[in-house]
Amino acid sequence: MEKQLFYVDQGVTMKNKAKPLTLSVCVLFLMSTFFICSALANEKVSYRLKWLRNVSVIGALYAETHHLFEKEGLDVAVKAGGPERDTIRELELGYADFGAASADQVLRARVKGSPVVVIAQLFQVNPLQWMYRPAEVRIQGLSDLKGKIIGVTYGGNDETIMRTLLSEAGINSSEVTLFSVRYDYIPFYRHKVQLWPVYRNAQGPIISAKLEKAGEKVAYFNPAQFGVRFVANSVVTEARTLREKPELVRRFLTALLTGWEQALDPKNQEEAVRTLQKYDPDTPRQILEEQLRITRELVQPDSAVAIGTIDKKGWEQTERIMASQKQLSRKVDLKAILKPMDVSPK
Amino acid sequence: MLYRRIFQFFIIYFLFIGGLMLLKYSLGLSDYVIPAPSGMFHILTAEYHRYSLATLNTMTVAVIGQILSVIMAFIIGILGRQSTWFGSFIKVAAFNIQAYPIVALAPILFILLGDGFLTRLLIAAMICYFPVLLSVLGIMSKPVDDIEHFYRVTGRMRWQLEVKIRTFENLTQLTTVIAGSATLAMAGTIVGEFIAANAGIGYSIRIALYQSDMGKILIALFLIGITIAIYQAFLELLGAAVKRAWTGK
Amino acid sequence: MPLICDNIAFTYSGAERPLFTDVSFQLTTPGFHSFFGPSGVGKTSLAKIITGDIAGYSGRVSTAGLKTLLYSHNKERLPGWSGVDRHLTRVISPPMHAQKDELVEIFGLSDCITSRFDQLSMGQQNRVNLIRYLLQDCDLLIMDESLANVDELTRERIILAVKDMFPDRYFLYISHNVIEVSKFCDSILVFCNNGRIPQTVMIQGCNIRRGEDLSPTALDAAMLEIMNAV
Repeated sequence: MEKQLFYVDQGVTMKNKAKPLTLSVCVLFLMSTFFICSALANEKVSYRLKWLRNVSVIGALYAETHHLFEKEGLDVAVKAGGPERDTIRELELGYADFGAASADQVLRARVKGSPVVVIAQLFQVNPLQWMYRPAEVRIQGLSDLKGKIIGVTYGGNDETIMRTLLSEAGINSSEVTLFSVRYDYIPFYRHKVQLWPVYRNAQGPIISAKLEKAGEKVAYFNPAQFGVRFVANSVVTEARTLREKPELVRRFLTALLTGWEQALDPKNQEEAVRTLQKYDPDTPRQILEEQLRITRELVQPDSAVAIGTIDKKGWEQTERIMASQKQLSRKVDLKAILKPMDVSPK
Repeated sequence: MLYRRIFQFFIIYFLFIGGLMLLKYSLGLSDYVIPAPSGMFHILTAEYHRYSLATLNTMTVAVIGQILSVIMAFIIGILGRQSTWFGSFIKVAAFNIQAYPIVALAPILFILLGDGFLTRLLIAAMICYFPVLLSVLGIMSKPVDDIEHFYRVTGRMRWQLEVKIRTFENLTQLTTVIAGSATLAMAGTIVGEFIAANAGIGYSIRIALYQSDMGKILIALFLIGITIAIYQAFLELLGAAVKRAWTGK
Repeated sequence: MPLICDNIAFTYSGAERPLFTDVSFQLTTPGFHSFFGPSGVGKTSLAKIITGDIAGYSGRVSTAGLKTLLYSHNKERLPGWSGVDRHLTRVISPPMHAQKDELVEIFGLSDCITSRFDQLSMGQQNRVNLIRYLLQDCDLLIMDESLANVDELTRERIILAVKDMFPDRYFLYISHNVIEVSKFCDSILVFCNNGRIPQTVMIQGCNIRRGEDLSPTALDAAMLEIMNAV
């Protein structure tokens, strides 16, 4: 009996000693698991778009929905832009790591000391063009703009582009009527304005379809065809981010450009349209397909030029145009701004 | 009163700018995010003339809109003061119309009436008329028995006399609310111009926003603020003069 | 042209007890009559029932032949946007302007008649208000403490002048001043304290006029009768 009790005691004692030990091991195991998981977790990054989620950002949307960012070990929050958002300001204030901004935005910011850099150029051809009715207006040369009523967004880059075109054509302000455009297209529908600025790939197909239903045909006046190349949306980040986290930038850009490549590949048309429909369920499929087709032409007009390639000459011309319009108070060192990265979409 | 108002405005404005500068230099922000004082001064000298004219343009619309709104508020207030079916209908209609946000109505008005002066005027009037209307309705609905009794019992009461008595007895309240509605009128006009117009300081602010030019926005705010401060001081002086002339005090 | 009130009963809505249950009196001759009694017994309420400003009572009020009945009180004000004289001139018909000037003189307002109403003392305000009522075309004027802020000597002068100048009019003078009502009033309807039956008692006052001598004995008797009735 005493022996049994002794053994029982021993067992109880051993059990008591084992408890804290087991507990410690468990805690250690849990902590290790936590740290390992944390290390394995994707790096959090935010990407601010210039405008809303539409076809002009299909590459980012495609990368997001097809987990291309995750494949690069990134947890990217793609945030929609809007009229109240300024991507470059958000970069500087730390609210975003990457963003999409137009060339005029980048150049204005750099003149004022903002440390923004361009790591890729999304549109090789500016989607901002003017829609007109060929039945009413004939535009074969810049001089045909004389006497026309042309819509512009005062303060916007379309105003800058149009004034450059008028200057190239030798048309002074009294020989043309510039009409201040708003969010609605009523003045164009009502034939009050003859040329109306639209994003060729996004709004263009929608308005064209509407006018076609009313039996009207439209055409597009593209400044690039008349030698005015004004760079559009590009991918930007802070100079410090590029300097301190080049690998992060590379991974992000790889995923993003892969997204663009795959979204614009005709083989993936179905997937791309499905992605667009997720954010724009009301636009008819036919129009989405047309938007995609035009975007393809604007983002990669030449298959020999990789998506994301920075067009240095385009940037130089953009800077010259803005300087001539007195929108830049001093010259800008493009070398310090344009930081192309050698990334291959996967 | 005028100098005091302007001085007070300068204190508020420069405290605000001071706060921005503190933020700028403590966080090392570029001139793009928050412009330096020298940059702001440069913009002031460059844009002062154009922005001043734009501000005066907006102010003109706001003032006329405010006058219209005061007239409208008095008419509606006088009509609505009776406890009749029509009187309560007027009150309900006024409250319901005011519930519509001006940012939603403004684009519709611009589509229907165009970019011109009339639309901006209508927006200015609509924005600031409601607080005045509320005050007028309240004043006109409340009898001043001490004074009105005699006229009522002797059969001498007319609606004009009733309105005059109630206006006189609540003159301080009315002048205060009218002076206060000046700010609303200005804010409303600027919002309308910002949404869809082709003139005025709101329009200039929209352009500055397109260009992400914070300096221009801050200068525009300065000009708006100083103009409003002067206008309000003027309204207060006018209110005091009216009270002095009418009450002898 | 009598004023007859017969079995008047009235309760304010929400009140626990009726204000009065059975008030009856009549005034058969024009003159300076009075309602007298403690605060809250219903003097003003009865006055307003007579002028038609209060409804919802039971009983009968007959004002046969009395076309215009006016109620005035001491808290009334004149509009403040111009001088008092200007207001008086606008509300008094032109044939009465001479009488207005006379009353202004008698009431001691000559020095302040061009001032605005809020520049006057309370006593002056009471007097100005009374003048405009006196010079309206009315058959019965109720003066509800209309001279409450006026000094005694001036009150006496005013009441005697009113009696002289308007002998054919009914006046109902509501007051707390037992000496005054005993001295100047003709019929005095005394409101008794709550709970007493009857609620009102009609007592004859001395009703003195300008130039008449007042017998101290008669005055004492009237006052005693009133105080016993309350």
